[in-house]
Amino acid sequence: MKPATFEYHRPSSVSEATELLADLGHDAELLAGNQSLGIIMANRLATPDHLVDLDRVDELSGVSIGDDEVEVGAMTTHRDLEFADDLRDVLPMVPQAAEQIAGPSVRNRGTLGGSVAEADPAGNYPAALVALDADLHVVSEDDGERTVPAREFFIAYMFTDLGPDELVTGATVSREPFPVERTGMAFETLKRAAQTFPTVSAATAVRVDDPDAADPEIEEARVALANVADVPLHVPDAEAAVEGTTLDEDALDEAEAAANEAADPSPEMHADEEWKVELAGEYTRRSLQAAYKRAIND
Amino acid sequence: MIEFSGEFESEHEPEELWKYFTDPDILAQCAPGCDHIEQHSESELSATVAVGVGSVKPTFDVDMTVVEADAPNRLVMHAGGDASRNSFETVAEMDLLENEDGGTTATWNAETNVSGLIASLGQRALGSVAERLVNNFFDDLEELADEGVPAESKISAKPDATASLDE
Repeated sequence: MKPATFEYHRPSSVSEATELLADLGHDAELLAGNQSLGIIMANRLATPDHLVDLDRVDELSGVSIGDDEVEVGAMTTHRDLEFADDLRDVLPMVPQAAEQIAGPSVRNRGTLGGSVAEADPAGNYPAALVALDADLHVVSEDDGERTVPAREFFIAYMFTDLGPDELVTGATVSREPFPVERTGMAFETLKRAAQTFPTVSAATAVRVDDPDAADPEIEEARVALANVADVPLHVPDAEAAVEGTTLDEDALDEAEAAANEAADPSPEMHADEEWKVELAGEYTRRSLQAAYKRAIND
Repeated sequence: MIEFSGEFESEHEPEELWKYFTDPDILAQCAPGCDHIEQHSESELSATVAVGVGSVKPTFDVDMTVVEADAPNRLVMHAGGDASRNSFETVAEMDLLENEDGGTTATWNAETNVSGLIASLGQRALGSVAERLVNNFFDDLEELADEGVPAESKISAKPDATASLDE
C-alpha cells in the first residue's frame, strides 16, 4: 500500500520545526530518519495530515564529548554513533547499541532521537539510555526547553512524556559515575535472525575499584533490559546484587534472579512469556560478565 | 473483550468530587485527547477524542449514555466510538467511597470491545497505555478540584437504561 495523502514540511532549524508543531500539533508527525514511520504510514496504520522532516535540521546532529558529560544530538544517525571512535572510548554502550540496530541501510538513516521518541520497548537506545541514567532534552514553541530523565520519559508501550508540540533535541549522559579506566560496558542482545528486532537485550555498565587488583570489586553497576516489559526496564535489584562483589557466581545468580523477577514481558510469536523471563536473567548475567571483563582489562 | 480496572485516591469528599465527574465541561478538560463534549440531554453526551499508541492515533466520534448516576456513590456509563478503521464500545463503572479522613477512594472498571487497527496492538499494549491515560484523567480532575474550579453536576441516568456490551 501507499501512504494516505499528507503535506510535507522540511524545516532547517529547531525553531522552525517547533513553530510548525505548535501550529499543527496532533495532526503532524515528526520524521527523524524515516526507518519506522514510513512503514506504519505505508500500511495506513498512521495517517498524519502533516509530516515534519527533521533531516535538514543540522543543529540536531552530532556528538559532543565534554569532561563531565556527553551530549548526543537527536538527529545523529546510528551509523555515525557506530563509527564514533572517540565516543566508543568514553561511553562504549552507545556505539555498541547503535551497531546492533537492524542492517547498514537502516543504520545509515535512522537516528537516536527517532528511536527514543518512537519508544518501542525493544529499542536499543531506550534501554541504553535508561541504563546510563541519561537526561533527555525536549523543546516546544510554547514551553521552551525541558529536561526529562530517560527513566521517567518512557511511560508505557510506545508512549512517552513527549507532548504533541514537542520534539526531542538530544540526550546527555554524565561521565562522572563511569571513569574510562575503571569502567566496562556491554550491550548484549539476542536476535532470532540477523537484522531483526531483538528478542531480549541487556545494557549494563560496571565500575570497579581497582582494575589491576587480584579480585577487583564492583563499586557501581547499571542494568537495563529491552523488550521484557512495556517500557525499557531498569533493574536496580540486579545492580544491588553485584555491587560490592567480585562478580562471583552467587552475585551473578542473584542478579539473574532479580532480572527474572523484574521482567514482565509480552509474549511474541517466536518467544513466549516464560522464555523471555528466562532470557532476561540469562542476558543480564552475560552482559554483566562482559562488562566486568572489559572493566578489568582496560 | 478487554477488562481494565484501577483505583484512585482523592483528598476531596465524594459529594465534592461527584460534581466534577458529572460536569461535562470538567470532563472535556480532563479527558485525554478530548477537544470538547457536547451534551444532548441529561443522560446523553458526545465527544471527539483523539487517542493513540505511538503514531497510530485515530480520532473517535464518541457517544456516551449515563446508565446509572447514584450521587455521590456510583456512576455507570456506556460509550461507543468510531474512527477511521477503528471502533470501540465500553461499559465503565465507578464507585466512590468516603475514607475515614474525609477523602475518597474511587474504584473503576471498564469492559471494552475494540476492533480495527487498535485491536491488533493487543491487550498488554492497550492496557499499559489505557492505565496511563486514566491516571492522567484522575490527576487532572483532582488538580481542578484542588484549585477549586467551579463544577456543577449536569447529568443524570437515562430512565430504564441498562449497560451491556453488544456481542
